[in-house]
Amino acid sequence: MRKLGFLILILLTVHMTLLADSFSLSFSQNMTSNLFQNRFAERDQLSNLSFYLDKNFSRFSLFAEGTYSYLFENSNLAYYIQDAGLDYILPIDEKSAFYFSVAGRGMFYRSEYADFNYMSSNFFAAFKSYLSQTSILKLNYSLDYKNYRDSVFDFISHSLLVSFDKYFQSKTTLKGEIDWGYKYFYSPYIYDEVITIETDNNSMGGKGKGSAHGSEPNVYLIESKTEGQGIQVISLSGLIAQGLGNKIGLRFSGMRQWVLSGQNPFFFIEEFYMVENPTYDRFSWEGYQLGSQLTLLLPWNIQMKLGYTVSQKEFPGIKSLDLEGNLLGITRKDKRNQIDVRAEKNFPRFSVFASYIYVHNRSNDLYFDWSGHFFAVGIEWNIPLGARQ
Amino acid sequence: MKQKTNVILGMILLLASLPSFGQKTENFYNVDQEIYIEGKIQNIVMEPRYKENSPFLIITLEEKDTKKLFTVEISPVEFFDQDFHKGEFLIVTGSLTSSGETGNNIIAREVQSKGETFILRDKHGFPTWRGGKGQMSRKGKRKGTRF
Repeated sequence: MRKLGFLILILLTVHMTLLADSFSLSFSQNMTSNLFQNRFAERDQLSNLSFYLDKNFSRFSLFAEGTYSYLFENSNLAYYIQDAGLDYILPIDEKSAFYFSVAGRGMFYRSEYADFNYMSSNFFAAFKSYLSQTSILKLNYSLDYKNYRDSVFDFISHSLLVSFDKYFQSKTTLKGEIDWGYKYFYSPYIYDEVITIETDNNSMGGKGKGSAHGSEPNVYLIESKTEGQGIQVISLSGLIAQGLGNKIGLRFSGMRQWVLSGQNPFFFIEEFYMVENPTYDRFSWEGYQLGSQLTLLLPWNIQMKLGYTVSQKEFPGIKSLDLEGNLLGITRKDKRNQIDVRAEKNFPRFSVFASYIYVHNRSNDLYFDWSGHFFAVGIEWNIPLGARQ
Repeated sequence: MKQKTNVILGMILLLASLPSFGQKTENFYNVDQEIYIEGKIQNIVMEPRYKENSPFLIITLEEKDTKKLFTVEISPVEFFDQDFHKGEFLIVTGSLTSSGETGNNIIAREVQSKGETFILRDKHGFPTWRGGKGQMSRKGKRKGTRF
C-alpha cells in the first residue's frame, strides 16, 4: 500500500508538471560541524535539490514539491521527500476568509534508515478575520497522520491555535496566542501476554495466534499486544514587534508550554538531526522559549535577519543517561542558546541566500551536551509557465 | 488508517485530473507601466478580481508625498501569509493599470514592509505566489535544510 501511495504521488507530480502555472528549482549546499547534534561532533556536508510547481484553477491551487538530499560523509542517510496537495480559499466577506488544504507526503531514506520512511497526510483549516483595520483574529486547526515503515512510530495528532493581534500607530504590534495539541501514538508499547485457556478432558488446544506452552488441563498462549500513548500539550505565547523607521523591524517573543497529560513513550532514540524524531517534536517537552529577531533591508535590497533564541525544555518520560548508558534517575532537561544570521537577495528571476546558525545545547544527559555550527548557501530559480494575469 | 492515507492521495490525483480553467486577462501586468510608491496603509479587504479565481488581498495605500490613494492588488494567498494593518508603511513596486478618474490601481510585483521583502511576481509580471502557503508556519519555502 505504501508503494501505491508513492506511485500516486509521482503520477500526480508528473501530471501537474504538464499543467503547471509556476515551476521553481532550488539548490542549497549545507555544512555543519555537528551533524548528529550530540557530544561526539561529526562534520558533514549536505546538498539539497528541490523542485516546486503549482497550478491554479478556480479557487483551488494544486501544489507539489520534491527534495533530494545527499550527505557527503554519511551517504547512507540520503533521502527524498515528495509533497503534493491542494488548497482552497473561501471568502466569507471582505474582511474574513477560510483557508483549507489537504496534503500528502512521502519520506524515503536509503535502506539503513528505512524504518523511518513514512507516508503522511495532513488536513489544515484556517480562519482569519480583521476585527478592525488594526486587529486580526486567527483560528487554525491541523490534523496529521503518519504511517511509518516501523509502525511503532505511527501517530495521529490534532492542533488548535487561536491568535489575536493589535497594531498601534506607534508602529508597535502586540500578539497573543494559545495553542493546544494532542498526539496519539498507536502502538509504541509492544509486549507479550500469556493467555490461559481452560480446557476439559475432551477438548485440547485453544484459539488465537501464538505458541502453545501449556499442557492439560490448560493451554497457555503467548500473544503480542500493543498499547497506545497519548500526549496533550498547551502553550501560551506572546510577541511584541516594533518598526524602526521603514526598513528595520525588531521583535521579541516568548512561549511557555505545559504537558497536560501523557508522556513520551520512547525511552531513548538516537537523535539523528534529520531523521524524524518522536522525542524532540512539539509534543515532547514542557518549558519555555524566548526569542528576538532584527530584520533589516540593506542597500541593494539585501534582506538580513539576525536572531537569538534561548529555550529550556524538559522531556517527560525520557530519562537521562551517563556516557556509559547508565540511568541517572532524572528526567532529561536541556537549555539551548541559538544565534541565527540570514541574508537574502532577490533578483528578477531568482533569489540567493546565505545563512549561519550556532547552537549551544546544555543537557543533564551528557550525550546531548553539544554545540555546532551550521552554514548554508542556496539559489532558487523561478520559471513562469502560466498566464501573466 | 493506512488505507485512508491512500484514499486521500487518490482524491488529490482525481482533482488534479479535472480540466483547468483558463485565467482571465481583463487586468494584466504591463511592465512598461511599472512604478514605485511608498505610503501608509489606509484600508485592507479581500476582493474578487478575476472570474472564477480566489479573491485578492487589496490594500489602499496613501502615497507619502502626494497623499494620493492607490489601490494595490497583492495576491490571494497573501491574505493568510502576511498580517498587514492600517497605518503600516509599505514600499510597493508594481504595474499601474489605471489612473485618474477611474482610480489609481496597481498590480504589485514586490512589497517591502518592516524590514522584509515579499516577491509576488517576477520581472515580467508572472505570479510567483505558491499554493500551500496558508500553512506558512509549518511549510513555507524549504530553503536551506532542517538543521
